[in-house]
Amino acid sequence: MAVKIRTWIKENIGLAILLILLTVLIVCPLVMIFARAVFEDGTFHPGQAWAVIADADNVETILNSLLLGVCVVLCSTVIAAPTAWLLSRTQLASHGWLDIVFMIPFMTPPYIASMGWILFMQKRGLFQQLFPFTGSLSENFFCFGGLVLVMSLHVFPFMMTMLKNAMTNIPASLEESGAVFGAGFGLRMRKIFAPLLTGNYAIAALLVFVKTLAEYGTPYTFGRRIGFYVFTTDIHRYATTAPVDFGSAASLSSILVCVCMLLWMLQNHITERTSYQLVSGKGSRPYRTELKGIRHFAAWLWIVLVLLIAVGVPYFSVIATSLIKLRGYGLAAGNFTLEHYKELFTTKKSMAAIRTSLFLAVSSATICSVIGTAVVMAVKRGKGKLKKIVEAVSLLPEMLPGIVLVIGLMLFWNAIYKIIPLYNTLGIMVLAYVVLYLPYTVQYVTSSFTQINDSLIQAGRTFGGSPAYVFGRITFPMISKGIATGWMMIFIISFRELVTASLIAPPNVLVVSTYINREFEQGSVSLGMAMAVLCVLITTTTLLIMNALTGRKKHK
Amino acid sequence: MKKRLVTVVLAGAMCMTMGLCAQAEESNKVTVYMPSPSGLADKLAEAFTEATGIEVEQFQGTTGEILARLEAEEANPVADVVILASWSDGLSMKEEGKIMSYTPENADLIVDGWIDEDSMLFGYSASAVGVIYNTTIYSELSADWAELAGEEYTDDIAIPDPEKSGACKDFLAGLVTGLEDGEDIIQSWADNGLTVPGANKAALEAVTTGEKGILIAGVDYNAYSSIDDGEPLAIYYPESGTVANPRPAMIMNTAPNVENAQAFIDFLFSDEAQQLVAEAYLIPGRSDVECVGRTTLDEIPQLPTDWDAMIEVADETAANLNEICQ
Repeated sequence: MAVKIRTWIKENIGLAILLILLTVLIVCPLVMIFARAVFEDGTFHPGQAWAVIADADNVETILNSLLLGVCVVLCSTVIAAPTAWLLSRTQLASHGWLDIVFMIPFMTPPYIASMGWILFMQKRGLFQQLFPFTGSLSENFFCFGGLVLVMSLHVFPFMMTMLKNAMTNIPASLEESGAVFGAGFGLRMRKIFAPLLTGNYAIAALLVFVKTLAEYGTPYTFGRRIGFYVFTTDIHRYATTAPVDFGSAASLSSILVCVCMLLWMLQNHITERTSYQLVSGKGSRPYRTELKGIRHFAAWLWIVLVLLIAVGVPYFSVIATSLIKLRGYGLAAGNFTLEHYKELFTTKKSMAAIRTSLFLAVSSATICSVIGTAVVMAVKRGKGKLKKIVEAVSLLPEMLPGIVLVIGLMLFWNAIYKIIPLYNTLGIMVLAYVVLYLPYTVQYVTSSFTQINDSLIQAGRTFGGSPAYVFGRITFPMISKGIATGWMMIFIISFRELVTASLIAPPNVLVVSTYINREFEQGSVSLGMAMAVLCVLITTTTLLIMNALTGRKKHK
Repeated sequence: MKKRLVTVVLAGAMCMTMGLCAQAEESNKVTVYMPSPSGLADKLAEAFTEATGIEVEQFQGTTGEILARLEAEEANPVADVVILASWSDGLSMKEEGKIMSYTPENADLIVDGWIDEDSMLFGYSASAVGVIYNTTIYSELSADWAELAGEEYTDDIAIPDPEKSGACKDFLAGLVTGLEDGEDIIQSWADNGLTVPGANKAALEAVTTGEKGILIAGVDYNAYSSIDDGEPLAIYYPESGTVANPRPAMIMNTAPNVENAQAFIDFLFSDEAQQLVAEAYLIPGRSDVECVGRTTLDEIPQLPTDWDAMIEVADETAANLNEICQ
């Protein structure tokens, strides 16, 4: 018996330590929130939470959120799937720069992109100034469809990257054997290509769905304009406008948690049934369809069209706004200036904001990569219920709107301030970002793991490699791309994170997003837009450097 | 196994000592939460540090963000001074017993009624709301509140979100309690296509870019500063009157640095600070300091304001407006 326990401990010690860590980081803050939902002044009031949930208005916003999520997943798929195919399985794959360009919509803070669309399409907006003869045509954009499009344009790169990586890993041999047996293009797509991707697609779709439910910036700016209210805007209102009502916010959040958990189980089910190990010891090369003539042209037309809508329109608005001298006169000769950029570079405050954001982004991305990889490794090796629990907890933050967790973190770290005085320091921001973005590393590393054949690792062990050696020489190189992608994603997102920073930043600390938001709310929109442009330039540069580094590794 | 445990414990201990070190340096600072225009907040903080040598840690956010932060920090309060943009929210804080009494220097010079009878709320500045319009769309405008429901303005009127803008919330409360047909007027705007583009600045933005022609209940200092920049805007105060809203500065009961907090309140009523207030196009809180480049307090027609009655209806009116404008 004692031996049994000892082996159990030996097998699960890694998992147990991670579980304790994750419990403190993620579960405790959540428990604080739920406690807040059902307890009032120390007494138990479950009915109160139910009353909030059953309120007709709340039911409507819940349905709105779900509808929006489904539509955005569909719309992103329409944009992402063909693009991913073109960029991985045809000669377009050789244009590496397209990868970077397609990340731009994702690097653009969602509130900036939707502001861009609003400024472009609104009454007397940029579109009407450019094409006065169209009358009030552009104002029709302000409808549910417009909202879905704007949100999809922000999240589709996410799905595209996942699908593209998966498609690249499908070896040519599979498709060629299909072709040898006489299957045409359509049949090969249906019977070979699509089934191999189902698992990855399920993960990507879930991520997009949850991201849409959790997104605050776009529904707040665009959604409220068309009277479309969702979960997050309601939760945010409960949590940030007087009288503050964390209880109601928490009650609404709990439904969101349940919905997302159900979906996660569904996705897990699908992925488990349909995952195939495509990367093995055997050499393989990706298949490339050579597009010719009109098809080649159509492919480029599609790429240009997507980029024009996803990057061109919002950036035209953002850049134009950052250059306009007086907002009241719009696009007019003589009404342009570089003054806003000059102001940006010469004030201490804006430079400090950029430095703080860079620090937060780099440190949280790095910490996430370490913890996240450890979680995936431990889960892969572990057995039984414990591994399921660890994985579920590590993914939990992704299932929740950021604001819910952030409020939980505030309550929790205040409660234990006497023991660990982390609150009101930069440390709490790093911690919050780590908690929020840990799932990215976990998802990306898991995704690259599902395609690694176990035989590779077994081979390493057979030849006497120590676990560390096997990890360093076999596992790590195979998953490094997943880690790097995760790192980059976290860097990008935390660089521009708004809701967390606005609530949890210590006094006197400004980050890029709160700087922009403050300029929008109290200062100059143009200055805010200038900062947004700079912010995207910084993330693009980082992405380029990262790509150059990982690219070089590949050639060696 | 034991070794690992020891490592974990050690790591935890290290975190704690690091945290303790971070906490140790708090003798010479004051933490201020304020929602005012950011330029003014920064200047005030800088001038205060220069005058007293006390460092200012500031958190700037909307009134809602500040209140949320205070609630979350209840177990571990860090704020010394809290400034809000709404007198009624300040009175609620007093009612909840969150703030302490103090008699600032120059208290005798403060505008009548801008310090409450318990000497807990100090209105160091004020703003009023008016009608702001885009002059490329309307060359001249002087319609009264009720007349803005006229069909020549259909779908061209906007209002700041009263659940975000303290000034707008207090104005609506004043309109409902001060005028007999206040509620009807608000309803008639809603029927006339009133939109709520966001907090103060976002709402003004909609009028600056010409998306909407008229902003009802826009805060005046924003308008004056935009007009000064050269934007095609103009502002007036309708003749039925508006609400001049003192912005209360308050010392928290739980303030860790009470003396520094009191020094900060004293400073807010100094010549220097009041001059900065005036230069930000706000109405100074001292009656002997003159406004700069804006309508003075006695020239602004005012609604009869009964703050006690207004607190009663303020939150409800604000929520109702957002409801009927959806």
